[in-house]
Amino acid sequence: MISLEQTLLQATRRQFLGRSGVCLGAAALASLLREDSSLRAADRDPRAARPAMSPPRAKHVIYLHMIGAPSQLDLFTHRPELSARDGEECPESFLEGRRFAFIGGKMTLAGSPFRFSRHGESGQEISELLPHLSSVADELAIVRTLHTEEINHAPAQMFLHTGFGRGGRPSFGSWVNYGLGTENQNLPAYVVMLSGPLGGAGTSVWSNGFLPSVYQGVQFRSSGDPVLFLSNPDGQSDADRRRIFDAVKSLNERRLALVGDPEIATRISQYEMAYRMQTSVPDLMDIAQETKQTIDLYGAQPGGASFANNCLLARRLVERGVRIIELYDADWDHHSNIRKSLPEKCEQVDRAMAALIADLKQRGLLDETLIVWGSEFGRTPLRQGVNGEGNSTNPGRDHHKDAYCTWLAGGGVKGGVSYGETDEFGFSPVDKPVHVHDLNATLLHLLGLDHERLTFKYQGREFRLTDVHGEVLHDLIV
Amino acid sequence: MRVIFPIRSATLLLALFAAPVCGLGEDGARSADAPIDFETEVRPLLVRACVECHGPQKQEGGLRLDNRAAALNGGDSGKVVQPGAPGESELIRRVALPAGDPEIMPAVGDPLTGEQIELLRNWIEQGAVWPASNQDLVHWAYQRPERPTLPEVERARWTANPVDRFVLARLEERGLAPSPRADRETLIRRVTLDLIGLPPSPEDVDAFLNDDSPIAYEELVDRLLASDQFGVRWARPWLDYARYADSHGFQRDDFRDLWPYRDWVVDALNDDMPFDRFSIEQLAGDLLPNAAESQRIATGFNRSAPTNVEAGTEPEETRVNQIFDRVNTLGMVWLGSTLECCQCHDHKYDPFTMRDYYGLFAFFNGTEIEADRANPDVPGSIKFLGPSMPLTDPVVQRQRDALQTEIDAVAAELTAREAELQEFDAEWETELAGAIADAPQEHPLEVTGFESSGGAGHEVLDDRSILLRGDAPARDTYTIRARPNLSGVTAFKLEALTDPSLPGKGPGRGDAERPNFVLHAFRLSVRPAAGGEPQTVRFVAATADFSQKNYDIAGAIDQDPKSAWAIHPQFHKPHWAVFETEHPVDCTGESAFEFQLVQNHGGARTIGRLRLSAITGDYRGATIPSAVATALAVDHRERTEEQRDAVLSYRRDHDETYRELKAKHARLEKELAAIKPPTTLVMQEVEQQRANAVFLRGNYQTPGEPVTPSTPAILHDLDAGGDAAPTRMDLARWLVDPQNPLTARVTVNRWWAELFGHGLVTTPEDFGVKGERPTHPDLLDWLAVEFMESGWSMKHVLRTIVLSETYRQSSAVTPELLAADDQNLFYARGPRFRMSAEMVRDNALSIAGLLSLNRGGPPIKPYQPDGIWVKVGGQRYDYKVSPGEQRYRRGLYVVLKRGAPYPSFVNFDADNRMACRVKRPRSNTPLQALTLMNDPVYVEAAKAFAARILTERPEASDEVRIAFAMRVAVARPPEPAEVDVLSALLESQRSAVAADPESAIRLIGEFPLSPRQTAGELAAWYAVATAVLNLDETISKN
Repeated sequence: MISLEQTLLQATRRQFLGRSGVCLGAAALASLLREDSSLRAADRDPRAARPAMSPPRAKHVIYLHMIGAPSQLDLFTHRPELSARDGEECPESFLEGRRFAFIGGKMTLAGSPFRFSRHGESGQEISELLPHLSSVADELAIVRTLHTEEINHAPAQMFLHTGFGRGGRPSFGSWVNYGLGTENQNLPAYVVMLSGPLGGAGTSVWSNGFLPSVYQGVQFRSSGDPVLFLSNPDGQSDADRRRIFDAVKSLNERRLALVGDPEIATRISQYEMAYRMQTSVPDLMDIAQETKQTIDLYGAQPGGASFANNCLLARRLVERGVRIIELYDADWDHHSNIRKSLPEKCEQVDRAMAALIADLKQRGLLDETLIVWGSEFGRTPLRQGVNGEGNSTNPGRDHHKDAYCTWLAGGGVKGGVSYGETDEFGFSPVDKPVHVHDLNATLLHLLGLDHERLTFKYQGREFRLTDVHGEVLHDLIV
Repeated sequence: MRVIFPIRSATLLLALFAAPVCGLGEDGARSADAPIDFETEVRPLLVRACVECHGPQKQEGGLRLDNRAAALNGGDSGKVVQPGAPGESELIRRVALPAGDPEIMPAVGDPLTGEQIELLRNWIEQGAVWPASNQDLVHWAYQRPERPTLPEVERARWTANPVDRFVLARLEERGLAPSPRADRETLIRRVTLDLIGLPPSPEDVDAFLNDDSPIAYEELVDRLLASDQFGVRWARPWLDYARYADSHGFQRDDFRDLWPYRDWVVDALNDDMPFDRFSIEQLAGDLLPNAAESQRIATGFNRSAPTNVEAGTEPEETRVNQIFDRVNTLGMVWLGSTLECCQCHDHKYDPFTMRDYYGLFAFFNGTEIEADRANPDVPGSIKFLGPSMPLTDPVVQRQRDALQTEIDAVAAELTAREAELQEFDAEWETELAGAIADAPQEHPLEVTGFESSGGAGHEVLDDRSILLRGDAPARDTYTIRARPNLSGVTAFKLEALTDPSLPGKGPGRGDAERPNFVLHAFRLSVRPAAGGEPQTVRFVAATADFSQKNYDIAGAIDQDPKSAWAIHPQFHKPHWAVFETEHPVDCTGESAFEFQLVQNHGGARTIGRLRLSAITGDYRGATIPSAVATALAVDHRERTEEQRDAVLSYRRDHDETYRELKAKHARLEKELAAIKPPTTLVMQEVEQQRANAVFLRGNYQTPGEPVTPSTPAILHDLDAGGDAAPTRMDLARWLVDPQNPLTARVTVNRWWAELFGHGLVTTPEDFGVKGERPTHPDLLDWLAVEFMESGWSMKHVLRTIVLSETYRQSSAVTPELLAADDQNLFYARGPRFRMSAEMVRDNALSIAGLLSLNRGGPPIKPYQPDGIWVKVGGQRYDYKVSPGEQRYRRGLYVVLKRGAPYPSFVNFDADNRMACRVKRPRSNTPLQALTLMNDPVYVEAAKAFAARILTERPEASDEVRIAFAMRVAVARPPEPAEVDVLSALLESQRSAVAADPESAIRLIGEFPLSPRQTAGELAAWYAVATAVLNLDETISKN
């Protein structure tokens, strides 16, 4: 579409050439401009790989999002004072100006029922619920002071991934895709997989927003077609299908010769890629090709559907040059009975997360793959019982946006780092607070993108993932 | 003479200069010789501070500061700017006067800051550079369009109407010539797709080809404009702007009824409702005097805003966010402007301020809240609210009236019978007293504690039942405590009750259509008062009023964790179960019952409202409530009202006449409820207006200075006619005031973009300073004026454009032309681009002969892969494909669930309508190829198309059939070489089918074959049909 192309033209000229002074390279620029029509098919793929703005520390990113918000206070942030005063009423000074989603009335401090210990040479403090992850503690940079601006699931999920709590903006993955393009011609550059249902924000968290739709995440599914509409209808063999593809190609080529619209050339190349995906995607999804040792390392099950399977698939995607891989795992919203539910969830992810790090490392891929683990927000240092009351035999924790944890590993990340400090109960950062925009700025930086220069002009404004904020956290980077 | 430089607020001006707006860095202090940028520094200051009184509308003191020549020329009292000499410039003298001085400028509002004065001084010092490229200070888009004179052109004979004159003039300037006319097949297909969104039938094409009349094309256009499918095609883009959807968005993405608004848009477009009225009714139809139903339906435009009803949200935040959405949408749709920036600070480039923004906000601040807590104390109890209007429907109303009459009659009989039963009947009472001695008695238990393992909230109702609240967890175990002070309990009764607050009334919580529950275990222990070990109570038998197949009530008390009690398909009604204890149980004094109800199915198959009762006595005998037994023991003259009610209630329940009447009443009520009229969401003002203020940093929790409803200062004045505060109605009228420089331009530009693939302004979402300038400013203005002067007729404008020679050109392009204008910005050729998502589908279904042209009504569901709607939060909906022709209706009617939109459409660039969007991207991806090849909708369309080819060209040769297929799909006959390609495909497919006949049978599946068709032949033609449906030409307007 021409207007879009114009937009791209202006936006890219300004952002890549003018304001930034960074030269994108003529060929890459040309490809970036071609969303819909152009001169030659070879130049016009908006997915073509583009050089980074600065030397990238990572070529791929695997984003592990625990939907619902795991409790940082039971996994990473050990607050002995909170445990010591478990069950006591929370001092008023900690509650001033704070918002909660559900709890009200009497506010009761909630210590963690789980044990913490130090791991690895770095002595990272991690709870007993994550024994496997603890074994790779020296690879992790744990941020303990992440904070966000939204306190309800859907807006917070959108805020984390799009920098805006109300929908309609491009996701982190779309921005990266827009900034860097793809290195694989047979698979999408941006792949999303779920274990459990879709999060509250729905598909918004991998939507392209106002960016061209080629940059949206493509969901790979564990049941039915791995990519929607990938399989031929029953009764159509690959040979049948190839004949149809060939006829379409031949007729499209004739039309191209007659009317000269370069868009037809693009159409022809997209049909060829679709045909290749029909082979490449099932091949990718077939984890039975892995050794038993590898499958066991992850705790995966060929033919099944789980977070572990998705972690293994993420590694296979990295091997194939896929740029952005996002895994969403549901059911972390522990408003009650956290003592029972949290260990169950941890057991489902712990082994596989650790395996992913170890496996990538042993294959020499960890250096070029950034792994991010996190969620839309964290959980309160306060108990949540029935109707938001603080007392309950099986309490949980409410939503908490002011301080929670995320960890990074791999590509360019300094391992064994613990970043930021919270008060004695874990309510707020007291040292090195990290806003979601800072985290996103850092992730983009690791991928070789400058969050201030990765912009797209829409509604007359140069939009960014980080709005007008964000500081790169250089302390986390090797 | 006094010269006035009004300014709204110095604070805002300050913000303009200090705030790093939208991502650009702060400049900090500057030195006097740093070059000043007129565009970004001086211009905004002049516009804000001076132009309102010294601009196009007013020239106080004969001075204009909005235009280079005029400003440098000065006013009545001479020059005000002496380039290079700030000390001699009147402008500087006046702005630098002390506050309160009668001559100070601006005369209204606070004086300029020292920094701002310094800026002006430096600018003049540096020569008062005012680039010639920026002659007019007031951006072109904020000046009223006037009808331009037609330009002179050389090839005037080519032109059909003024549109062509403007286009040709630009072409000639660039040394380009128009392309020849498109052939008639291409033309009829192009204009049919453009005006009604469907391809022409081969008969339409033939009729057009054979019509020699010079006005054949004109007549065709008029027929299409009159078609009732016109509105369906043109409602689609409008509904993108209106961000219309069938669900709320966010976590609790439940459905809402708003489709009558969608149908209103279709009807209004079909009627060519004047755009000014079209706008007024949508923005403020409810405020029209004696607003008609349709005018209130129209206000659904703004009820389309996404609404966050996630448990635990802050209702005021949601309300404010919805108004932000309304203001931003208004800015984009009518003003082509990005007002969003002004939520937090004055616009960096465009002359809009925060004050302007919150002035607009104030117009929308008086409507009813749309998401609030059902119980103010329970944050989890967020409900979707806001006015919902039942629609009148004469047929429905007659049915309802008839039923109501019948219900009233039965109710009268019931009252009469009840009066009879209220009379004391000694014989009946004696008989009952005899039965009571050893009859079981039910004791509803008073709940002393309740917990949900899934974190659900609850409420104990007056009847001692427990009603669950908040988000329903997938799995849940209820722990319920009671201290009944009873002994000799032989059984327990569990009632799973319905409630209006539950999805589908319940009794389950998960799903409105299938509100089942699955009870895996019913456990009980008695906790002694002294704190000893709790004693588990064993159950030996269980009975229920109903058990689902394979989910017998016995499953709730056996030790198998997988077996359970459930009630499919007996939904929407109460159920009960009784559990018999091994031995009579005592629970007296401080000791307590603790029940556990384990419900592990997932999908919130949990009980939404329940009541527990203990039964004493022989529970297999007829149960007599304890209250009745107590009452009977008292002399009937001395019974309390409560006791009299208990006896009456028992008597009624056991009176056959009464029960029959009651059942009849319930049946009729149910019938009445089933034919309730459809409803739609509408806007409505509240009585008590809320306070209006600027929100500092866009945060509603930090209100700043108060504002009143007002429109942006840079634009024309709002005339509210009187002293009363202006209303939404005044705002709507202001938008479509002919004085408004934007509305008409912005609107015609979007239509142009629908027809040509891009607008005359290629940034339809931004007519501001940072947007693109129009490629043909005069044409844009001509169309805008023509639009307004035609009485705001959309059809008139569309007709004018499609009758132009510009529109009718061939779209074929040469390498030379591509080099000269690859984007076709100057229209030396006709438009050619891929159809929208909805049109791709409508086109395929139409070619296949499947399309249903029925209009209106609730959304429809075509095939969609399983699992798309599975998500966290909100009600769970099963995706059931619509029956019969419903599934083949046009794409406009496909259900739009914001959290999980229809994937086929997403693959073709439709979005989830979380925000207003006036331009869709147009991508070209492999997912589109996979969709067209393999989505069951398109597979079925290809089969139907194959069958159509065989049926409509019976006994014909392959070549004739192929020619027919091409004419149906792309309106033109194929070239011989194309026939060859498709014949070869057909032949090779026939061979493949012959080698593997089974595959053809599998492919055709349940698709109905006509008597003379074989699966093999249809399978071979399926290949041809698929190929034709996948051509770039087929999914493009050519």
